[in-house]
Amino acid sequence: MSLGISAIEYINGIKNGTITAEEFVAKTIEHIKKVEPKLHAFISLNDNALEQARAIDKKVKAGQNVGAFYGMPISIKDNICIKGGKTTCASRMLENYTAPYDATVVSKLNAQDAVIIGKTNLDEFAMGVATEFSAFGPSKNPWDTEYVPGGSSGGSAVSVAGLESILSLGSDTGGSVRNPASFCSIVGLKPTYGLVSRYGLVSYANSIEQIGPMGRRVEDVALLLNHIAGKDPHDPTTIDNKNQDYLSGIDSGISGKKIGIIKEMSSGSGLDSTVASVFKNSISAFEKLGAKIEEVSLDMVEYTVATYYVLTTAEAGSNLSRYDNLRYGYDLDSEGYEFKSYISKARRNFGPEVTRRMILGGFVPSAGFAGKYLLKALKVKSKLKKQIEAAFSKCDFLISPTVPVLPFKFGEKIDDPLAMYLADINTVTANLTGVPAISVPYEVKNGLPVGIQIHANLLQEKQLLQAAYALQNTTKLPEVPL
Amino acid sequence: MRIDIENSDEYFERVKKILGYFDILDKANIEGEEVPVQQVAIDELRDDKYVAFEDPLIQQLKNYRDSYVRAPKMN
Repeated sequence: MSLGISAIEYINGIKNGTITAEEFVAKTIEHIKKVEPKLHAFISLNDNALEQARAIDKKVKAGQNVGAFYGMPISIKDNICIKGGKTTCASRMLENYTAPYDATVVSKLNAQDAVIIGKTNLDEFAMGVATEFSAFGPSKNPWDTEYVPGGSSGGSAVSVAGLESILSLGSDTGGSVRNPASFCSIVGLKPTYGLVSRYGLVSYANSIEQIGPMGRRVEDVALLLNHIAGKDPHDPTTIDNKNQDYLSGIDSGISGKKIGIIKEMSSGSGLDSTVASVFKNSISAFEKLGAKIEEVSLDMVEYTVATYYVLTTAEAGSNLSRYDNLRYGYDLDSEGYEFKSYISKARRNFGPEVTRRMILGGFVPSAGFAGKYLLKALKVKSKLKKQIEAAFSKCDFLISPTVPVLPFKFGEKIDDPLAMYLADINTVTANLTGVPAISVPYEVKNGLPVGIQIHANLLQEKQLLQAAYALQNTTKLPEVPL
Repeated sequence: MRIDIENSDEYFERVKKILGYFDILDKANIEGEEVPVQQVAIDELRDDKYVAFEDPLIQQLKNYRDSYVRAPKMN
Protein backbone atom coordinates (compact mmCIF):
# COMPACT_ATOMS: atom_id res chain seq x y z
CA MET A 1 0.00 0.00 0.00
CA SER A 2 1.58 3.21 -1.19
CA LEU A 3 0.82 6.56 0.45
CA GLY A 4 1.33 8.15 -2.97
CA ILE A 5 -1.94 6.84 -4.40
CA SER A 6 -4.51 9.27 -5.76
CA ALA A 7 -7.79 10.06 -4.02
CA ILE A 8 -9.67 8.07 -6.65
CA GLU A 9 -7.37 5.05 -6.13
CA TYR A 10 -7.87 5.34 -2.36
CA ILE A 11 -11.67 5.29 -2.70
CA ASN A 12 -11.53 2.32 -5.07
CA GLY A 13 -9.18 0.53 -2.65
CA ILE A 14 -11.61 0.96 0.23
CA LYS A 15 -14.59 -0.06 -1.90
CA ASN A 16 -12.95 -3.25 -3.15
CA GLY A 17 -11.51 -4.08 0.27
CA THR A 18 -7.80 -3.94 -0.62
CA ILE A 19 -7.21 -1.24 2.00
CA THR A 20 -8.94 -0.04 5.13
CA ALA A 21 -9.18 3.53 6.34
CA GLU A 22 -7.54 2.53 9.63
CA GLU A 23 -4.53 0.96 7.90
CA PHE A 24 -4.09 3.94 5.62
CA VAL A 25 -4.48 6.56 8.34
CA ALA A 26 -2.14 4.60 10.65
CA LYS A 27 0.49 4.42 7.93
CA THR A 28 0.03 8.12 7.21
CA ILE A 29 0.53 9.01 10.89
CA GLU A 30 3.64 6.85 11.02
CA HIS A 31 4.97 8.58 7.92
CA ILE A 32 4.15 12.03 9.37
CA LYS A 33 6.15 11.19 12.50
CA LYS A 34 9.08 10.20 10.29
CA VAL A 35 9.16 13.17 7.90
CA GLU A 36 7.77 16.02 10.01
CA PRO A 37 11.08 16.88 11.73
CA LYS A 38 12.41 17.49 8.21
CA LEU A 39 9.39 19.04 6.46
CA HIS A 40 7.29 20.75 9.17
CA ALA A 41 4.08 20.76 7.15
CA PHE A 42 1.80 20.74 10.22
CA ILE A 43 1.12 23.06 13.10
CA SER A 44 -1.17 20.62 14.87
CA LEU A 45 -2.32 17.04 14.41
CA ASN A 46 -5.64 15.40 15.09
CA ASP A 47 -5.16 12.84 17.85
CA ASN A 48 -8.54 11.29 17.09
CA ALA A 49 -7.73 10.52 13.44
CA LEU A 50 -7.21 6.80 13.94
CA GLU A 51 -10.38 6.44 15.99
CA GLN A 52 -12.36 8.28 13.31
CA ALA A 53 -10.90 6.01 10.61
CA ARG A 54 -11.90 2.93 12.62
CA ALA A 55 -15.47 4.21 12.91
CA ILE A 56 -15.63 4.67 9.14
CA ASP A 57 -14.29 1.15 8.53
CA LYS A 58 -17.08 -0.16 10.78
CA LYS A 59 -19.65 1.63 8.65
CA VAL A 60 -18.11 0.20 5.47
CA LYS A 61 -18.15 -3.34 6.93
CA ALA A 62 -21.73 -2.97 8.12
CA GLY A 63 -22.81 -1.88 4.65
CA GLN A 64 -24.04 1.48 5.96
CA ASN A 65 -24.00 4.71 3.96
CA VAL A 66 -20.48 6.08 3.91
CA GLY A 67 -19.47 9.57 2.79
CA ALA A 68 -17.58 10.15 -0.45
CA PHE A 69 -14.13 10.37 1.16
CA TYR A 70 -14.23 6.99 3.01
CA GLY A 71 -11.86 8.12 5.79
CA MET A 72 -9.34 9.74 3.45
CA PRO A 73 -6.69 11.79 5.31
CA ILE A 74 -7.11 15.44 4.35
CA SER A 75 -5.15 18.34 5.81
CA ILE A 76 -6.51 21.84 6.40
CA LYS A 77 -4.66 25.15 6.39
CA ASP A 78 -4.50 26.56 9.89
CA ASN A 79 -6.54 29.66 9.06
CA ILE A 80 -9.69 27.55 8.58
CA CYS A 81 -11.68 26.88 11.75
CA ILE A 82 -12.34 23.44 13.18
CA LYS A 83 -14.56 23.37 16.24
CA GLY A 84 -12.56 22.50 19.31
CA GLY A 85 -9.24 22.63 17.51
CA LYS A 86 -6.61 25.31 17.59
CA THR A 87 -6.68 27.75 14.70
CA THR A 88 -3.48 29.74 15.03
CA CYS A 89 -3.06 31.37 11.59
CA ALA A 90 0.63 30.67 12.34
CA SER A 91 0.58 33.72 14.59
CA ARG A 92 1.65 34.26 18.19
CA MET A 93 -1.47 36.40 18.45
CA LEU A 94 -3.73 33.33 18.08
CA GLU A 95 -1.35 30.71 19.48
CA ASN A 96 -3.98 29.37 21.87
CA TYR A 97 -7.16 30.30 20.02
CA THR A 98 -9.67 27.45 19.95
CA ALA A 99 -12.38 27.82 17.32
CA PRO A 100 -15.92 27.46 18.69
CA TYR A 101 -17.37 26.43 15.31
CA ASP A 102 -16.56 24.55 12.11
CA ALA A 103 -15.91 26.35 8.84
CA THR A 104 -18.48 25.36 6.20
CA VAL A 105 -15.83 23.49 4.20
CA VAL A 106 -14.93 21.50 7.33
CA SER A 107 -18.59 20.63 8.02
CA LYS A 108 -18.89 19.46 4.42
CA LEU A 109 -15.77 17.29 4.64
CA ASN A 110 -16.90 15.78 7.95
CA ALA A 111 -20.32 15.03 6.44
CA GLN A 112 -18.51 13.10 3.69
CA ASP A 113 -16.40 11.05 6.14
CA ALA A 114 -13.06 12.69 5.55
CA VAL A 115 -10.48 12.31 8.31
CA ILE A 116 -8.94 15.69 8.99
CA ILE A 117 -5.41 14.63 9.75
CA GLY A 118 -4.08 17.99 10.91
CA LYS A 119 -3.79 21.73 10.47
CA THR A 120 -1.06 22.92 8.15
CA ASN A 121 1.54 25.65 8.38
CA LEU A 122 1.26 28.98 6.57
CA ASP A 123 2.73 32.43 6.46
CA GLU A 124 1.28 34.37 9.39
CA PHE A 125 -2.34 35.25 8.54
CA ALA A 126 -1.67 33.98 4.98
CA MET A 127 0.63 36.90 4.19
CA GLY A 128 3.66 35.67 2.30
CA VAL A 129 4.95 33.44 -0.47
CA ALA A 130 7.35 31.15 1.37
CA THR A 131 5.95 30.17 4.84
CA GLU A 132 9.05 31.96 6.16
CA PHE A 133 6.71 34.28 8.05
CA SER A 134 5.11 31.50 10.12
CA ALA A 135 5.58 32.22 13.82
CA PHE A 136 6.22 28.50 14.30
CA GLY A 137 9.03 28.15 11.78
CA PRO A 138 8.97 27.55 8.02
CA SER A 139 7.86 24.45 6.15
CA LYS A 140 10.48 22.90 3.86
CA ASN A 141 10.14 22.01 0.21
CA PRO A 142 10.16 18.19 -0.03
CA TRP A 143 12.01 18.40 -3.38
CA ASP A 144 14.94 20.11 -1.68
CA THR A 145 14.67 21.18 1.93
CA GLU A 146 17.02 24.12 1.40
CA TYR A 147 14.29 25.70 -0.72
CA VAL A 148 11.01 27.34 0.26
CA PRO A 149 7.79 25.43 -0.46
CA GLY A 150 5.98 28.59 -1.60
CA GLY A 151 3.15 30.18 0.29
CA SER A 152 1.13 31.09 1.95
CA SER A 153 -0.46 27.60 1.88
CA GLY A 154 3.04 26.10 1.98
CA GLY A 155 2.23 23.57 4.72
CA SER A 156 -0.74 22.26 2.73
CA ALA A 157 1.39 21.84 -0.39
CA VAL A 158 4.16 20.12 1.58
CA SER A 159 1.70 17.77 3.28
CA VAL A 160 0.36 16.66 -0.12
CA ALA A 161 3.71 16.53 -1.94
CA GLY A 162 5.34 14.85 1.07
CA LEU A 163 2.62 12.11 1.14
CA GLU A 164 1.38 13.24 4.59
CA SER A 165 -2.15 13.67 3.26
CA ILE A 166 -3.94 12.85 0.01
CA LEU A 167 -5.69 16.19 -0.30
CA SER A 168 -5.53 19.55 1.37
CA LEU A 169 -7.43 22.79 1.60
CA GLY A 170 -5.55 26.06 1.32
CA SER A 171 -6.67 29.64 0.85
CA ASP A 172 -5.74 31.82 -2.09
CA THR A 173 -5.75 35.61 -1.79
CA GLY A 174 -3.08 36.40 -4.39
CA GLY A 175 -1.81 32.97 -5.40
CA SER A 176 -1.44 31.28 -2.02
CA VAL A 177 -2.76 27.95 -3.32
CA ARG A 178 -1.20 28.06 -6.80
CA ASN A 179 2.25 29.35 -5.81
CA PRO A 180 3.06 26.52 -3.33
CA ALA A 181 1.39 24.03 -5.68
CA SER A 182 3.86 25.09 -8.36
CA PHE A 183 6.86 25.09 -6.00
CA CYS A 184 6.01 21.63 -4.62
CA SER A 185 4.86 20.00 -7.89
CA ILE A 186 1.22 19.44 -7.00
CA VAL A 187 -2.12 20.70 -8.37
CA GLY A 188 -3.74 23.76 -6.78
CA LEU A 189 -6.99 25.44 -7.76
CA LYS A 190 -8.25 28.94 -6.97
CA PRO A 191 -11.99 28.67 -7.66
CA THR A 192 -14.23 31.45 -8.97
CA TYR A 193 -14.83 34.02 -6.22
CA GLY A 194 -17.96 32.86 -4.39
CA LEU A 195 -17.88 29.23 -5.51
CA VAL A 196 -16.61 28.02 -2.13
CA SER A 197 -17.88 29.36 1.19
CA ARG A 198 -15.44 31.48 3.20
CA TYR A 199 -17.43 30.99 6.42
CA GLY A 200 -14.84 29.96 9.01
CA LEU A 201 -11.85 31.16 7.00
CA VAL A 202 -10.03 33.76 9.08
CA SER A 203 -10.36 36.97 7.07
CA TYR A 204 -7.42 38.67 5.46
CA ALA A 205 -8.81 40.32 2.29
CA ASN A 206 -12.43 39.20 2.02
CA SER A 207 -13.17 40.75 -1.36
CA ILE A 208 -10.79 38.47 -3.26
CA GLU A 209 -9.80 35.45 -1.15
CA GLN A 210 -11.07 31.92 -1.72
CA ILE A 211 -10.54 28.51 -0.18
CA GLY A 212 -8.98 26.19 -2.76
CA PRO A 213 -8.40 22.44 -3.11
CA MET A 214 -4.90 20.95 -3.50
CA GLY A 215 -3.93 17.42 -4.54
CA ARG A 216 -1.40 15.38 -6.46
CA ARG A 217 -3.76 14.79 -9.41
CA VAL A 218 -6.20 17.06 -11.24
CA GLU A 219 -9.02 14.53 -10.81
CA ASP A 220 -8.45 14.54 -7.04
CA VAL A 221 -8.83 18.31 -6.96
CA ALA A 222 -12.06 17.98 -8.99
CA LEU A 223 -13.36 15.44 -6.48
CA LEU A 224 -12.63 17.74 -3.55
CA LEU A 225 -14.20 20.71 -5.33
CA ASN A 226 -17.36 18.64 -5.87
CA HIS A 227 -17.84 18.43 -2.13
CA ILE A 228 -16.92 21.95 -0.99
CA ALA A 229 -18.51 24.14 -3.68
CA GLY A 230 -21.94 25.72 -3.60
CA LYS A 231 -24.25 28.14 -1.90
CA ASP A 232 -23.87 28.66 1.84
CA PRO A 233 -26.37 30.69 3.88
CA HIS A 234 -23.49 31.73 6.15
CA ASP A 235 -21.63 33.44 3.29
CA PRO A 236 -23.75 35.80 1.16
CA THR A 237 -21.04 36.00 -1.51
CA THR A 238 -21.46 32.32 -2.40
CA ILE A 239 -22.93 31.18 -5.71
CA ASP A 240 -25.31 28.31 -6.39
CA ASN A 241 -23.38 25.97 -8.69
CA LYS A 242 -26.39 23.61 -9.14
CA ASN A 243 -24.32 20.74 -7.68
CA GLN A 244 -22.16 20.61 -10.77
CA ASP A 245 -20.05 17.46 -11.08
CA TYR A 246 -16.51 18.57 -11.90
CA LEU A 247 -15.20 15.02 -12.13
CA SER A 248 -17.49 13.62 -14.80
CA GLY A 249 -16.14 14.11 -18.30
CA ILE A 250 -12.80 15.32 -16.98
CA ASP A 251 -11.12 13.39 -19.80
CA SER A 252 -13.06 15.22 -22.52
CA GLY A 253 -9.91 16.82 -23.90
CA ILE A 254 -9.38 20.30 -25.29
CA SER A 255 -9.27 19.69 -29.03
CA GLY A 256 -10.39 22.81 -30.89
CA LYS A 257 -10.27 25.04 -27.81
CA LYS A 258 -8.64 28.45 -28.08
CA ILE A 259 -5.85 29.20 -25.64
CA GLY A 260 -4.41 32.67 -25.12
CA ILE A 261 -0.86 33.12 -23.87
CA ILE A 262 -0.84 36.16 -21.59
CA LYS A 263 2.04 38.17 -23.03
CA GLU A 264 2.74 40.22 -19.90
CA MET A 265 3.09 37.06 -17.75
CA SER A 266 5.14 35.02 -20.19
CA SER A 267 7.95 37.28 -21.25
CA GLY A 268 10.16 40.04 -19.93
CA SER A 269 13.18 40.33 -17.68
CA GLY A 270 11.41 38.97 -14.58
CA LEU A 271 10.87 35.56 -16.17
CA ASP A 272 13.44 32.91 -15.28
CA SER A 273 14.92 31.21 -18.38
CA THR A 274 14.23 27.70 -17.03
CA VAL A 275 10.60 28.60 -16.33
CA ALA A 276 10.35 30.11 -19.83
CA SER A 277 11.67 26.92 -21.42
CA VAL A 278 9.23 24.70 -19.45
CA PHE A 279 6.39 27.03 -20.41
CA LYS A 280 7.37 26.71 -24.07
CA ASN A 281 7.20 22.92 -23.75
CA SER A 282 3.70 23.17 -22.27
CA ILE A 283 2.57 25.31 -25.23
CA SER A 284 3.78 22.58 -27.62
CA ALA A 285 1.85 20.03 -25.54
CA PHE A 286 -1.34 22.11 -25.78
CA GLU A 287 -0.86 22.33 -29.56
CA LYS A 288 -0.45 18.56 -29.79
CA LEU A 289 -3.71 18.19 -27.85
CA GLY A 290 -5.43 20.07 -30.65
CA ALA A 291 -5.78 23.49 -29.04
CA LYS A 292 -5.35 26.68 -31.02
CA ILE A 293 -2.80 29.04 -29.49
CA GLU A 294 -2.63 32.80 -29.80
CA GLU A 295 -1.05 35.62 -27.84
CA VAL A 296 -3.22 37.91 -25.71
CA SER A 297 -2.18 41.21 -24.18
CA LEU A 298 -3.54 42.45 -20.84
CA ASP A 299 -1.66 45.70 -20.34
CA MET A 300 -3.07 46.21 -16.82
CA VAL A 301 -1.07 43.18 -15.60
CA GLU A 302 1.94 45.49 -15.15
CA TYR A 303 0.03 47.27 -12.37
CA THR A 304 -1.55 44.26 -10.71
CA VAL A 305 1.04 43.68 -7.99
CA ALA A 306 0.75 47.28 -6.77
CA THR A 307 -3.04 47.10 -7.09
CA TYR A 308 -3.20 43.83 -5.21
CA TYR A 309 -1.04 45.06 -2.32
CA VAL A 310 -2.89 48.37 -2.02
CA LEU A 311 -6.28 46.65 -1.86
CA THR A 312 -5.25 43.75 0.37
CA THR A 313 -3.31 45.83 2.86
CA ALA A 314 -6.28 48.20 3.17
CA GLU A 315 -8.57 45.22 3.88
CA ALA A 316 -6.00 43.57 6.15
CA GLY A 317 -5.61 46.77 8.17
CA SER A 318 -9.33 46.66 8.86
CA ASN A 319 -9.66 42.90 9.36
CA LEU A 320 -6.69 42.50 11.65
CA SER A 321 -7.64 45.38 13.90
CA ARG A 322 -9.82 42.88 15.80
CA TYR A 323 -6.66 41.32 17.26
CA ASP A 324 -6.42 43.82 20.07
CA ASN A 325 -6.18 41.40 23.00
CA LEU A 326 -9.71 42.37 24.02
CA ARG A 327 -11.65 40.27 21.52
CA TYR A 328 -8.84 37.98 20.40
CA GLY A 329 -5.39 37.73 21.83
CA TYR A 330 -3.07 36.14 24.32
CA ASP A 331 -2.06 36.33 27.94
CA LEU A 332 -0.72 39.86 28.48
CA ASP A 333 -1.20 41.55 31.85
CA SER A 334 -2.97 44.90 31.44
CA GLU A 335 -1.56 46.29 34.71
CA GLY A 336 0.16 49.62 34.18
CA TYR A 337 -1.11 50.33 30.67
CA GLU A 338 -3.38 53.11 29.49
CA PHE A 339 -6.17 51.59 27.31
CA LYS A 340 -4.80 52.45 23.85
CA SER A 341 -1.20 51.73 24.73
CA TYR A 342 -2.26 48.29 25.97
CA ILE A 343 -3.78 47.50 22.57
CA SER A 344 -0.80 48.78 20.61
CA LYS A 345 1.54 46.84 22.92
CA ALA A 346 -0.54 43.68 22.42
CA ARG A 347 -0.16 44.02 18.67
CA ARG A 348 3.58 43.56 19.10
CA ASN A 349 2.85 39.86 18.83
CA PHE A 350 2.33 40.23 15.10
CA GLY A 351 5.29 39.19 12.99
CA PRO A 352 7.19 41.58 10.69
CA GLU A 353 5.23 41.01 7.47
CA VAL A 354 1.83 41.39 9.13
CA THR A 355 3.06 44.52 10.89
CA ARG A 356 4.31 45.94 7.59
CA ARG A 357 1.01 45.26 5.89
CA MET A 358 -0.94 46.79 8.77
CA ILE A 359 1.17 49.94 8.53
CA LEU A 360 0.56 50.07 4.77
CA GLY A 361 -3.10 49.24 5.32
CA GLY A 362 -3.50 52.20 7.62
CA PHE A 363 -1.77 54.51 5.17
CA VAL A 364 -3.08 53.73 1.66
CA PRO A 365 -6.78 54.38 2.38
CA SER A 366 -6.13 57.37 4.67
CA ALA A 367 -7.44 60.87 3.98
CA GLY A 368 -5.16 62.64 1.52
CA PHE A 369 -3.69 59.39 0.14
CA ALA A 370 -6.76 57.33 -0.83
CA GLY A 371 -6.93 59.11 -4.21
CA LYS A 372 -3.30 58.34 -4.94
CA TYR A 373 -3.40 54.69 -3.91
CA LEU A 374 -6.76 53.11 -3.12
CA LEU A 375 -8.96 54.71 -5.76
CA LYS A 376 -6.36 54.19 -8.50
CA ALA A 377 -6.02 50.54 -7.48
CA LEU A 378 -9.79 50.10 -7.67
CA LYS A 379 -9.80 51.63 -11.17
CA VAL A 380 -6.98 49.33 -12.33
CA LYS A 381 -8.97 46.39 -10.96
CA SER A 382 -12.02 47.54 -12.89
CA LYS A 383 -10.09 47.93 -16.15
CA LEU A 384 -8.35 44.60 -15.67
CA LYS A 385 -11.75 42.92 -15.31
CA LYS A 386 -12.84 44.40 -18.63
CA GLN A 387 -9.63 43.22 -20.30
CA ILE A 388 -10.12 39.70 -18.95
CA GLU A 389 -13.73 39.66 -20.17
CA ALA A 390 -12.56 40.76 -23.62
CA ALA A 391 -9.86 38.06 -23.64
CA PHE A 392 -12.40 35.37 -22.74
CA SER A 393 -14.69 36.51 -25.54
CA LYS A 394 -11.91 35.31 -27.88
CA CYS A 395 -10.32 32.45 -25.92
CA ASP A 396 -11.49 29.53 -23.79
CA PHE A 397 -8.41 29.57 -21.56
CA LEU A 398 -5.53 31.89 -20.73
CA ILE A 399 -2.17 30.46 -19.74
CA SER A 400 1.12 31.52 -18.17
CA PRO A 401 3.79 30.09 -15.91
CA THR A 402 2.29 29.95 -12.39
CA VAL A 403 5.28 31.72 -10.87
CA PRO A 404 7.85 33.54 -13.02
CA VAL A 405 10.74 32.24 -10.91
CA LEU A 406 11.92 28.87 -9.60
CA PRO A 407 11.59 28.03 -5.90
CA PHE A 408 14.20 30.08 -4.05
CA LYS A 409 16.38 29.32 -1.04
CA PHE A 410 15.39 30.25 2.51
CA GLY A 411 16.44 33.77 3.38
CA GLU A 412 16.97 34.78 -0.24
CA LYS A 413 14.07 37.22 -0.39
CA ILE A 414 12.99 37.63 3.23
CA ASP A 415 14.77 40.98 3.62
CA ASP A 416 13.39 42.36 0.39
CA PRO A 417 9.58 42.42 0.64
CA LEU A 418 9.27 44.02 -2.78
CA ALA A 419 11.15 41.19 -4.52
CA MET A 420 8.87 38.77 -2.72
CA TYR A 421 5.74 40.66 -3.75
CA LEU A 422 6.82 40.53 -7.41
CA ALA A 423 6.71 36.71 -7.31
CA ASP A 424 2.91 37.18 -7.26
CA ILE A 425 2.71 38.91 -10.63
CA ASN A 426 1.23 35.93 -12.51
CA THR A 427 -1.22 34.85 -9.84
CA VAL A 428 -2.91 38.02 -8.56
CA THR A 429 -4.90 38.64 -11.77
CA ALA A 430 -7.22 35.70 -11.06
CA ASN A 431 -7.95 37.09 -7.59
CA LEU A 432 -8.50 40.66 -8.74
CA THR A 433 -10.90 39.54 -11.48
CA GLY A 434 -12.53 36.64 -9.62
CA VAL A 435 -11.87 34.08 -12.38
CA PRO A 436 -10.75 30.54 -11.56
CA ALA A 437 -7.13 29.49 -12.14
CA ILE A 438 -5.24 26.27 -11.61
CA SER A 439 -1.57 25.37 -11.32
CA VAL A 440 -0.59 22.08 -12.95
CA PRO A 441 2.84 20.59 -12.18
CA TYR A 442 4.62 20.22 -15.50
CA GLU A 443 8.34 19.58 -15.13
CA VAL A 444 11.04 19.24 -12.50
CA LYS A 445 14.22 20.94 -13.69
CA ASN A 446 17.46 20.43 -11.75
CA GLY A 447 15.40 19.12 -8.86
CA LEU A 448 13.04 22.12 -8.74
CA PRO A 449 9.40 21.96 -9.87
CA VAL A 450 7.75 24.29 -12.40
CA GLY A 451 3.97 24.66 -12.70
CA ILE A 452 1.78 25.95 -15.50
CA GLN A 453 -1.18 28.17 -14.76
CA ILE A 454 -4.46 27.98 -16.68
CA HIS A 455 -7.24 30.56 -16.23
CA ALA A 456 -10.84 30.07 -17.34
CA ASN A 457 -13.83 32.39 -17.39
CA LEU A 458 -16.05 32.82 -14.32
CA LEU A 459 -17.65 29.54 -13.16
CA GLN A 460 -15.97 27.54 -15.93
CA GLU A 461 -14.21 25.21 -13.46
CA LYS A 462 -15.44 22.12 -15.28
CA GLN A 463 -13.76 23.15 -18.54
CA LEU A 464 -10.71 24.40 -16.61
CA LEU A 465 -10.26 21.02 -14.93
CA GLN A 466 -10.64 19.27 -18.30
CA ALA A 467 -7.82 21.41 -19.73
CA ALA A 468 -5.65 20.81 -16.65
CA TYR A 469 -6.31 17.06 -16.85
CA ALA A 470 -5.34 17.00 -20.52
CA LEU A 471 -2.11 18.87 -19.78
CA GLN A 472 -1.31 16.64 -16.81
CA ASN A 473 -1.48 13.58 -19.03
CA THR A 474 1.18 14.94 -21.39
CA THR A 475 3.89 14.83 -18.75
CA LYS A 476 5.45 12.28 -16.42
CA LEU A 477 6.89 13.68 -13.24
CA PRO A 478 9.59 12.09 -11.08
CA GLU A 479 8.79 10.84 -7.59
CA VAL A 480 9.43 13.22 -4.74
CA PRO A 481 12.78 12.33 -3.07
CA LEU A 482 11.62 11.74 0.52
CA MET B 1 -4.80 51.98 14.39
CA ARG B 2 -1.88 52.01 16.77
CA ILE B 3 0.80 49.38 16.85
CA ASP B 4 3.99 49.31 18.92
CA ILE B 5 7.07 48.46 16.90
CA GLU B 6 10.70 47.98 17.61
CA ASN B 7 13.23 48.92 14.89
CA SER B 8 10.93 51.62 13.56
CA ASP B 9 13.66 52.83 11.16
CA GLU B 10 13.77 49.44 9.45
CA TYR B 11 9.99 49.35 9.06
CA PHE B 12 9.99 52.94 7.85
CA GLU B 13 12.59 52.22 5.14
CA ARG B 14 10.85 49.10 3.86
CA VAL B 15 7.37 50.61 3.88
CA LYS B 16 8.76 53.68 2.08
CA LYS B 17 10.27 51.43 -0.59
CA ILE B 18 6.94 49.63 -1.08
CA LEU B 19 5.04 52.92 -1.27
CA GLY B 20 7.61 54.04 -3.86
CA TYR B 21 6.74 50.96 -5.90
CA PHE B 22 3.02 51.76 -5.59
CA ASP B 23 3.77 54.97 -7.53
CA ILE B 24 3.69 52.76 -10.63
CA LEU B 25 -0.10 53.20 -10.41
CA ASP B 26 0.40 56.82 -11.56
CA LYS B 27 1.43 55.47 -14.98
CA ALA B 28 -1.65 53.28 -15.48
CA ASN B 29 -3.95 54.48 -18.21
CA ILE B 30 -7.19 54.42 -16.23
CA GLU B 31 -8.70 57.66 -17.44
CA GLY B 32 -12.48 57.52 -17.52
CA GLU B 33 -12.51 54.32 -15.46
CA GLU B 34 -15.15 54.22 -12.72
CA VAL B 35 -14.56 52.93 -9.22
CA PRO B 36 -16.60 49.72 -9.08
CA VAL B 37 -19.33 49.66 -6.47
CA GLN B 38 -20.67 46.34 -5.27
CA GLN B 39 -24.36 46.29 -4.46
CA VAL B 40 -26.04 43.51 -2.56
CA ALA B 41 -29.78 43.61 -1.94
CA ILE B 42 -30.68 43.55 1.75
CA ASP B 43 -32.68 40.34 1.41
CA GLU B 44 -29.61 38.62 0.00
CA LEU B 45 -27.55 39.37 3.08
CA ARG B 46 -27.07 36.81 5.79
CA ASP B 47 -29.69 37.06 8.51
CA ASP B 48 -28.44 39.22 11.33
CA LYS B 49 -29.50 36.95 14.13
CA TYR B 50 -27.97 35.88 17.39
CA VAL B 51 -26.83 32.28 17.34
CA ALA B 52 -26.36 30.96 20.84
CA PHE B 53 -23.32 28.82 21.56
CA GLU B 54 -25.00 25.89 23.17
CA ASP B 55 -22.04 24.36 24.99
CA PRO B 56 -20.71 25.87 28.24
CA LEU B 57 -17.92 27.83 26.54
CA ILE B 58 -15.41 28.22 29.37
CA GLN B 59 -15.75 24.58 30.34
CA GLN B 60 -15.42 23.51 26.71
CA LEU B 61 -12.29 25.55 26.22
CA LYS B 62 -10.75 23.90 29.27
CA ASN B 63 -11.71 20.50 27.89
CA TYR B 64 -10.35 21.23 24.45
CA ARG B 65 -6.98 22.25 25.78
CA ASP B 66 -4.45 19.48 25.17
CA SER B 67 -7.11 17.00 24.16
CA TYR B 68 -8.35 17.30 20.59
CA VAL B 69 -5.15 18.46 19.05
CA ARG B 70 -1.52 18.29 19.87
CA ALA B 71 0.81 20.82 18.47
CA PRO B 72 4.28 19.35 18.33
CA LYS B 73 5.92 22.34 16.72
CA MET B 74 4.69 25.02 19.06
CA ASN B 75 7.31 26.48 21.32
